[in-house]
Amino acid sequence: MEEEKKEYNEINESEAPKSTKNTIKRLWHSIDDQYKRLTIVIVSVIFYTLLSIIAPLYSAHIVDLIWNGVQTAINTGTTFSITWNNCGYEIFILFSIYLATWVFYTLQNLVMASFAEKLSLRLRTEVSNKLNYLPLAYFDKHQPGEILSKVTNDLDKMSEALQTGLLRLFTSIGMIIGSVAMMLRFSVLLTAIFLGFTLISMLLTKLFSKKTLQYALNRQNSISNLTAEIEEAYTGRIIIKSFNREEFSINKIGNATNEVAKATKKADFMMNSINPAIRLVNRLGQVCIAVVAGKMLIDGQLSVGIFQAFFQYINQAAEPLTEASYMINSLQSALASLERVYEILDEEEISKEVKNPISVKNAKGEITFKNVKFGYSPNKILMNDISFNVKPGQKIAIVGATGAGKTTLINLLMRFYDINDGMILLDGIDTKKMTRNNLRSNFGMVLQDTWLFEGTIAENIAYGNPKATKEEIIEAAKMARVDFFIRTMPEGYDTILSSDAENISVGQKQLLTIARVMLCNPSVLILDEATSSVDTRTEIEIGKAMDNLMKGRTSFVIAHRLSTIMDADLILVMKNGDIIEQGNHKELLNKNGAYAELYNSQFA
Amino acid sequence: MKTILHFIKPYRKLLFFAIIFIICDVIGALYIPTLTADMINIGVNTGNLEYIIQKGIVMLIVTILAALGTLLGTYLCTDLASKISRDIRNALYKKSLELSTFDFKQFGTASMITRTLNDVNVIQQSFVNFMQMVLPVPFMCIIGIAMAFSIDVFMGWLLIGATLIIIISAVFITKKAALIFKKLQSFLDKMNSVLRENITGVRVIRAFNKEGHEKRRLRKSFEDYEKSAIKANKLFAKLDSLALFAINTTIIIILWIGGNRIGIGTMEIGDITALTEYAILILFYIIMAQMVIMLMPRAIVCLNRIKDVLEKEVQIHNGTDKYIDSNTNEILEFKNVSFRYADADENTLNNISFTCKKGETTAIIGSTGSGKSTIAGLIMRFHDITNGKILLKGQDIRKIPQKEVRKHISYVPQVAWLFSGTIEDNLNFGNSKATKLELNKSLKIAQADFVNDLEGGVKARVAQGGKNFSGGQKQRLAIARALIKKADLYVFDDSFSALDFKTDSKLRNAINENIKDASILVIAQRISTILNANQIIVLNDGEIVGIGTHDELMKKCTIYQEIANSQLKGGK
Repeated sequence: MEEEKKEYNEINESEAPKSTKNTIKRLWHSIDDQYKRLTIVIVSVIFYTLLSIIAPLYSAHIVDLIWNGVQTAINTGTTFSITWNNCGYEIFILFSIYLATWVFYTLQNLVMASFAEKLSLRLRTEVSNKLNYLPLAYFDKHQPGEILSKVTNDLDKMSEALQTGLLRLFTSIGMIIGSVAMMLRFSVLLTAIFLGFTLISMLLTKLFSKKTLQYALNRQNSISNLTAEIEEAYTGRIIIKSFNREEFSINKIGNATNEVAKATKKADFMMNSINPAIRLVNRLGQVCIAVVAGKMLIDGQLSVGIFQAFFQYINQAAEPLTEASYMINSLQSALASLERVYEILDEEEISKEVKNPISVKNAKGEITFKNVKFGYSPNKILMNDISFNVKPGQKIAIVGATGAGKTTLINLLMRFYDINDGMILLDGIDTKKMTRNNLRSNFGMVLQDTWLFEGTIAENIAYGNPKATKEEIIEAAKMARVDFFIRTMPEGYDTILSSDAENISVGQKQLLTIARVMLCNPSVLILDEATSSVDTRTEIEIGKAMDNLMKGRTSFVIAHRLSTIMDADLILVMKNGDIIEQGNHKELLNKNGAYAELYNSQFA
Repeated sequence: MKTILHFIKPYRKLLFFAIIFIICDVIGALYIPTLTADMINIGVNTGNLEYIIQKGIVMLIVTILAALGTLLGTYLCTDLASKISRDIRNALYKKSLELSTFDFKQFGTASMITRTLNDVNVIQQSFVNFMQMVLPVPFMCIIGIAMAFSIDVFMGWLLIGATLIIIISAVFITKKAALIFKKLQSFLDKMNSVLRENITGVRVIRAFNKEGHEKRRLRKSFEDYEKSAIKANKLFAKLDSLALFAINTTIIIILWIGGNRIGIGTMEIGDITALTEYAILILFYIIMAQMVIMLMPRAIVCLNRIKDVLEKEVQIHNGTDKYIDSNTNEILEFKNVSFRYADADENTLNNISFTCKKGETTAIIGSTGSGKSTIAGLIMRFHDITNGKILLKGQDIRKIPQKEVRKHISYVPQVAWLFSGTIEDNLNFGNSKATKLELNKSLKIAQADFVNDLEGGVKARVAQGGKNFSGGQKQRLAIARALIKKADLYVFDDSFSALDFKTDSKLRNAINENIKDASILVIAQRISTILNANQIIVLNDGEIVGIGTHDELMKKCTIYQEIANSQLKGGK
């Protein structure tokens, strides 16, 4: 949904990069594998522009030749006709000039066609590499849609703007200088008229774009409002229906769509009327020039050919001049998009792996927290002093209210975050002295949110162990009590889960993630509310399978239902980031503290 | 196409005038070079300055008129497009409310949002582009060629030839483009979904040490997209190049042949300018139109997605009988009800019969997928049953208007959803005329007293979906909203799951004390929630396997015993 909302933001075309110079510098660096391509383009652009300037001049020459030929023919009483020697050769030369122009034009366009996309690919790849080194805190702080839109929309926008914009920028500069120089050669007066009208149309563009931006902003706001209303109405439709609020809601949406219609009309009209308005000014200029030039023609100050050539130069120079502000805007917003991508690349990375790491394979599973201190930001410490010890094969339960720090504890164990102080040991070895990959290969976890990717069910189960055979996959599914369900799917294990996976329930998703871990055979198990969406009866069955799996393994369980953790060897009761009680079920009940209260309340 | 015509229909007049103005624009564009040619011809032949100035004034008038026509045309066009898109959006939303829950889920909330916002937006933009860029093309071709014929028949034929060649190659390229764009879109979707997976699944990916694998997967999706995008860019480049070539060649032919025609006196020197301009204008319009047409397949996809919703057959129809309020004690009765989802092979519910009585609490318990929530959906008529009958105070709910059914039942859904606005706005859903006293009372029963501690009390802001409240708070507010509605039956669909045990029991007690003359139906997973119900219905695989009080069921129903034991393990 995030990207969808983002799409409408593209209207804002006048956004500027924070530092144009730095971004261009970096951009220059980012295309260092494409200098060859760029050189070809620039050389081609130079020739193309030169030829485009020469062509009208030469065609003027031909028109004059024809005109003179016709005049002499009339005077001598013969009929004028074009042969190779009579104008034909010149026309052929003009054709050659056109052909050469065309070749260079095609060349630069084709070469440029891949330029921006190659740059996008490079930046996208750099971002995807970067993703692996970003701390989890980054993902907590930023919505998925936000990152997504930078990598897809922003880069697409950038590539579109660079693709056409850069080429146009190059050619425009040449065209304007060349054409105006030529026009000056023919007539200073006519050129002055032309430049005067161009100035007016440039001012007009500026005026228009200010208004356009304002209307675009209004439209943006009305669309955001509609988006919010629609999202809400579709999500809450059951409520709307069950409270008979359809009419009320239809009216509300109707108002919002009407506002959008009004705002869109204005914005679209503004955007679409810039060109006709500028065309009007330009044409008025041309009328003036035509009248003055006509007079000069009669007075013999201009030849017919030059008269025609002059209009061709007007067309060549007017377009880039009036489009200049639009072009600069779109290039600027391309740079701004680029800057946002560079910002991701500049994000702080997770700490480097230690040199000479200690490798721990098939750990026994002894885990120790020693005076661990941690906060998501250094000035907001969540955990002050956490210490506990887990012997290999023990089952540890973590209980506490939402926000008490249960998930954080697991995050630290997996080294998703680095601790501020203290030590976490696996088999007596400081986990900081191991590589993250090595550490994590000893763990298997089932997380709160059931993440599955777009692919077959079998692929999803074998995610952590791609070499698993079909039999092993089925075995794991059976252990997770999900085999039967998979078989009822149309394609069985080859059923493709779509990314929104609406065809399977949350509970079933959880069972699949359990099967996924089963197949990995890790030393330490982590179950983070893994069974919260599975009903109690199924939970018992999973529990049985889990008990088997947990045999000989250390396991951490975070669960809502106290029934699942009563047989734990160690229960950690957490509150506000700290462990307030620890012990087994009996000990804690006898203590008559927080745990006892929690436990007894379920029978109220 | 039919769909869009249907929406244009009310604005026929607007469309008509828009087209008239577009034609004005075309005529204006073509008339300027004609006048310029005239000026050259007369100017060089007669040397008459007065004539030139006269023509100049005509030119001025034509230019201004044409520009006004264009602006008016643009205005009507954007007006039309925005009105059509508004109507489509309204129609979509209205239709969405008529769909059954099952049908709505077939589309999905996310997709429905996309359809209502983005798809309509694409259609609107495409419509404007079509009107501005494609619609003028036939007029431009016909009028342009006609004017060429009026200058010189031979040149007229030349222009027809050039136009035909360009149109044919344009059709050819467009066909190719459609394929490339389709691919490009699918690669873009793929890139987005892989990237999204990478971001949302970052913990899992790291936990399984799959960073390298994901990097390759991403790289592949990027490359596929890049290749496709370059192909599309190259196609555009080729099209551009073709246009330039065509224009240049046409100019050369006009020069050569035009020279001869001038020689034999059928044409004048200024006409070369006019003909060149005509040729360039026609080619330019065709090329621009083609750019728009290339993007049309996307609009058609969007249109079809909208059509799918609008033409979806409505499954649930209003009954025509009048609802008669009777004084019966049997508020709701299921009579041999069976239910099967449209896409399922087996019944979700089989032969369900039970009665909810006034002043009594009925509870339904069972494992996930046993069909508990489906029962609530059937009562609210979000789906229609396959067999049997559901009676509300003795009347078949399919025979009376849906509104009447929902008016007499108050429902708390599984997912507590609050609307943005104030707490009061939300509570008003239940009863828009509720007094302050009633508001407070229902909040109190729902154990939602925390509202009083908020800044503004019942006037406190609620963010969309109730995001600024915790799960438990949201549930309690949703319950308060349902309690404020006067109803004969209150349905709680697993509505206590986010509450801690203490609040849960307090809430249940308060409800029992305050709702005496209505019937209550509680769907739950926790035994403790339903322990004291007058009757407990145990569901398993869509069938009733036990019905009775807790004590009765503990004696005779094995499945109930299993559930109870699993939850009360180690209890006293």
